[in-house]
Order: sequence, then C-alpha cells, then structure tokens
Amino acid sequence: MASSSSSGLTFKLHPLVIVNISDHYTRVKSQMHPPLTATNGSDGVDNTSSSPSSSSSSPSRSPPPRVYGCVIGIQRGRTVEIFNSFELLYDPSTHSLDRAFLEKKQELYKKVFPHFYILGWYSTGSDAQESDMHIHKALMDINESPVYVLLNPSINHAQKDLPVTIFESELHVIDGIPQLIFVRASYTIETVEAERISVDHVAHLKPSDGGSAATQLAAHLTGTHSAIKMLNSRIRVLHHYLLSMQKGDIPCENSLLRQVSSLLRRLPAIESGKFQDDFLMEYNDTLLITYLAMFTNCSSSMNELVDKFNTAYDRHSRRGGRTAFF
Amino acid sequence: MDSVQALITQIQGLSSSAGDVSRLHSNLKQAEETIFSESARLFSALDQLDPSIHSLGYLYILEACSSGPLTKERAAALVLPISRFINACAVEQIRLAPEKFISVCKRFKDQVMLLEAPMRGVAPLLTAIRKLQTSSEHLTPLHPEFLLLCLLAKCYKTGLSVLHDDISEVDQPRDLFLYCYYGGMICIGQKRFSKALELLHNVVTAPMSTMNAIAVEAYKKYILVSLIHHGQFSTSLPKYTSSVAQRNLKNFCQPYIELANSYGTGKITELQTYVQTNKEKFESDNNLGLVEQVLASMYKRNIQRLTQTYLTLSLEDIANTVQLSSAKEAEMHVLQMIQDGEIYATINQKDGMVRFLEDPEQYKTCEMIEHIDSAIQRIMALSNKLTGMDEQISCDPLYLGKVGRERQKLEYEDYDGVPQKFNI
Repeated sequence: MASSSSSGLTFKLHPLVIVNISDHYTRVKSQMHPPLTATNGSDGVDNTSSSPSSSSSSPSRSPPPRVYGCVIGIQRGRTVEIFNSFELLYDPSTHSLDRAFLEKKQELYKKVFPHFYILGWYSTGSDAQESDMHIHKALMDINESPVYVLLNPSINHAQKDLPVTIFESELHVIDGIPQLIFVRASYTIETVEAERISVDHVAHLKPSDGGSAATQLAAHLTGTHSAIKMLNSRIRVLHHYLLSMQKGDIPCENSLLRQVSSLLRRLPAIESGKFQDDFLMEYNDTLLITYLAMFTNCSSSMNELVDKFNTAYDRHSRRGGRTAFF
Repeated sequence: MDSVQALITQIQGLSSSAGDVSRLHSNLKQAEETIFSESARLFSALDQLDPSIHSLGYLYILEACSSGPLTKERAAALVLPISRFINACAVEQIRLAPEKFISVCKRFKDQVMLLEAPMRGVAPLLTAIRKLQTSSEHLTPLHPEFLLLCLLAKCYKTGLSVLHDDISEVDQPRDLFLYCYYGGMICIGQKRFSKALELLHNVVTAPMSTMNAIAVEAYKKYILVSLIHHGQFSTSLPKYTSSVAQRNLKNFCQPYIELANSYGTGKITELQTYVQTNKEKFESDNNLGLVEQVLASMYKRNIQRLTQTYLTLSLEDIANTVQLSSAKEAEMHVLQMIQDGEIYATINQKDGMVRFLEDPEQYKTCEMIEHIDSAIQRIMALSNKLTGMDEQISCDPLYLGKVGRERQKLEYEDYDGVPQKFNI
C-alpha cells in the first residue's frame, strides 16, 4: 500500500499523541485479558502457574484489540503539526467511528484550543488495511485530506525507530480505476518543554529484561567494560604473537621485542604479599557493597510483589500500606 | 483377538514421526474403551511392542492394565514392566499424554508400597520425574510421590538431589505442600536444618484459602527445627502468609508453642520436665525424635551464649553453667561444636581451659571473591524474575479491580506517582 507521499506536506508529531495512543491500547488490552483465576484451581498459587504442560490448549490468544481515535492539531501552510488526540468508539456494524461523539468532542476542544482542527484519525496494528479506507473517507468531510496515524503495539527489540507511521491518501489510477490508497509520509517529532519532562520520565522506566543502559552510571560502566575488553583482546593478540615467535613459527623481530619489553617494564612493580592482601580485601569490600545493594533492591521488589499479591488474592488481608486518614 | 491385533499393528505402524504419533494419539483416545475392556489380552501382547519406540501405545495399555483393584499378585506382575517402561520411554511421546503417565506412575508407587519394597520404586520414579519435567523448575505431581518413597526407603541422598532445584512452576497446590513437607523431613533426616527450615517455611506461608492439615503438621516441625537451628522461635509469621494461616495455625500447635516458650527461658530442667509431661502428645505426632534433638541443642545454645561473655573459661565452669554432669562431657560437647563449625575455640588440654576465638575469616581470599560473585549472579537472576512477576501481577485484572476500589479512600498526597518502596 505505500510508496512515499508526494504531496510535499511536512508532518510534525508531538509525543503526547504517541503516549495517548499507547495508553489507550494498553488499557483496552489489559481490561479484556481473561482473568487468571479462570484457568487456575480454587486457590491462587504464589508461583505463577499456567495451564498444565501440553495437554490443554493455551490461554486464549485472541488477536490484539484495535483502538481508534481522532488526532487534532494545526495546519499552517505546508506544515501539519499534530498536537493532541482523543479516543473514539468504533462501531463494527457500520464500520465507522461514532460521529455524534466526535462532533461533541470537537466542539469542546474548540472552546479550549480555538486553533486546533481535526487533522485525521489514529489506530493500532501492524499495517494499514483495506477497511481503514472506509473510515478515512468518512472523515473526509471534516478535513479534505485527513492523516492516518498508525501505531504498531508489538514490541520489537531489534527496531531502533518508533513504530509509528503516518499515512496520507492519494488518488492513484490502478487498472484504469482511480482509487484512493494510503501512502506513507515522513514525519519529525516536535516537543514542547512540558512534554520533554514526561518523555524523560517514561524513558527511565527500565524494562524487565534489562534492555539498554538507560542511566548514566550504566553507560559509564558499559564504556569501561568495553575498554577493558578491548585491552584484553589486544594483550591476547600480543601474547599469541610472542608465543609463536618463541616456538619459531615466525621470524624474530627485534624491534617489536624491544617495545614489548619496555612496555612490561612500565607495569606496576608492586608484587608483595601485603599488596595482594589489601587489594583483595578492598575488592571483597566492593563486591559486598554491590551484593548489599542488590539485596536491598530485590527485597524491595519482593515487598511490592507481596503487597500486590495480598491485595489481589487474599480475601481478608490487612492493607499493608496507607489506610484512610480522616 | 482381532481388535487387539489391529490395535497392536496400529501402534507399531504409527510410531515413527511426530505427525504419525499425533494421529496415533487421537486414535488411541477414541479407542480407549476397547483398550480398557481388552486390557488383559493387550497385556500379554505387550512384548510385541518396544517401549522406547512405541511409548504412547505402551503407555495407554499400561494405564488400562494398572487401573482397577490392586492385589499383591497383580502388583508383582506389573512392577517390573512399568519400571522398564519408565526407563526406556521416549520423552516427546510421553508429554503428549501427561495425565496417563502420572496415573501410571502413581499406581506404580501404590504397587511398590503394597509389596513393601519402596526401594524398588525410587530409581524409576526419579527417571520418570526427569522425563516429565518441562524444565528443572517445574514441579510435577510425581515429585511428592518420589519423596515419599525416598522417606519410606530411607534413601535420603537421592531425595536431596531433587530438592536442590528451585521451583517456579507448579501444577497443583497440593503437590507443593506435600513436596515441601516431605522435603523438609528428608532434610531433617540428613541434618540439613537450614534447608529443612526453608522448605517447611514454604509450606506454612504458602497461599491457602482454608486450613490445611499438611500445613499444621509442617508448622509443628517448623517450630522444632527452628529451635534446633536458630535457638529461638517467634510466633509472628511474615506478611506474605495467608490470613487463614496467620489466624489459625497457632491454635492447632499449642503444646509446641509452649515448648518454645520454655526453651526461651534457657533452663534445661524446666524444658526436660515439660517434655516429660507432654510426651504422649509429641509421640502421637511422630515428633519425639525431633523433640529430643531440641533438648540436645539446648546445651549448644547455652555454650554459644558463653562465648559472648567470656574469653577463656575452664571446662569445669562450662559444665556447671550449662548444667552438664562433668567436665569430660563439656569437653565432648565443645569439641563437637568446634568440628561442626558452630563456635571457634581452642581447648588447652593441660589446664582444661577453653579459649574462645573470633571468626578467622578475613575476607581476603580469591575463593571468597568467587563465592560473593556467584551469590551476586544468583540474586540478579532472582531479581529479574521478580520484576517479571511484578509486571505480570500489575496487569492482572483481579488486582487492578481491587486497587481501583481502594484508590478512592486514599488522600491527595498519595498520588505522588513515586512507587512506594517502603510500605510501613
């Protein structure tokens, strides 16, 4: 469906829209998930227990839900800037979005942001589909050329850029019939100061599988680690070279040998027992502190998990947290 | 004869590739009634089948043969084929019908117990567990059966090898309770009290919606082992215990709690009189052996307390303070404790003085580095798993529903968005 657009419009997308769409999708998805107690026995078990190994079917993998909504913003000349979005209900019988609600919302937004217009609509999925054109055409009476913002909710760790695509509609002649098809458009991300704070906050939420180094400390340590790794590999190369020189596979190169020996003489000269003792003791101390830090971290996450478990599954638990003040 | 032969040829024919095996599986499911009715004749036809190739068919036939009332002759006839089958069967075929495999193994355990030879069942059940487990962290219903046989056959070491694995997937809650309870008993038998304490702790704090007899028995042993190992016992259970257990466990174990109280006073004679008066109660719970160990550990506790007050002490004085009968006995006790690593001391034989030392560990060695390093790695793996579970439960609709209801009662300051790391 998508060559690149030739309309010459520049699109600017605000992070607020992306966060809104993602939030909408997550909410709908977590609310439609079948509850865990339906597949368990009568007691909740503290270890997560999925269905028994092979015999019964896997818990229902219904296709991920699609969410729909409207995007609003400003169009100035050739620049389209998408500022905000709101949710809409999709009526599967008429294959269209809830029109009355859309108009009501539009009216309300006009009162607060008089310059914002409805620029188009959004949805989730991996690629634009044929049925989307129907919705697109329905919006054409509000905006002559609406945009379609598509968010791909499946997480792909290999992908570096955002899973957001902006589609425009263009009239192309296919098989002699003029048809509207979706074409991709490029976009840039534009931020306001307030948005930068929330994006920063979201970026610091560490994913559970470790992910990339998000904090400064982790970045610093990664740098040190790669430096040491490189040093190690270089020393290994030298060592291998010297060994083969010793065995006689390679002719002796005296200048290289001189360089190696001068390097060795510059290494730290301390080899005494006391140095080893102190060094190992300090090393052990650092390791112990790391261990203590990990322990504290682990205990605190365990504590949170236990609290959540008690809230969810224990009928008469004392709420181990804050109770209502009067 | 026809249907039997047809079945046998079908099994022989359809056991080669994965697609064939699944077809065979569906055929066998449909033919279940024929298998049941013709079980005797199928049993005699079993030698036409090879358990390692035709595992699925063999399994169905065995299951049909082993169901029904259990008598000694049937047990004797079935034990050998079943153990040979367990050793030879193919893992992928077994995993297609795990309930049948589990029921065959449970019957096997019943037969072995009926024949009063639990030792014969230990090795086959161990192989069965390894074959049925999808990963080493998976607890199958066969685990508690295996541990029960180990207990009856007194092969504690084999039981210990299974107990080393960490568990994170459980099929049935009852399996977890029984597994930890039997595991705790095995560890007590091997005198590994810290591991026993951990396992019994798991039984007591596992989620349960109603009182559980296994948990009550485990709690009694838990009190005793905690006295032996730590020298103290507190009745407060951690907050992840279910509220049912927190309220009711104490009522069922009153004599043990009083034992713990009199242990706490530190007087041997009081403890001894208490044990004497309540002897039948302890005996009826089969805990008398443990109670005697508790008595013995009292001496150890008192000697350890002496290390905190004195630097050197004569053996006579030790005997008097700890209320042992003679200096010789005190020397034996101290020697045993030094060997077990419970105290650090040197005994001067000439003048009968004991000098208490500090822990000689200086934390300067490379072995200590490796030890701490491996501990850090384990904690990192555990931490990752915990974060995964935390995320999973945060999305659980049951949890979200309850939190949503509670939220309205919280005050404004609580909406600060910072996760509450330290709930008071």
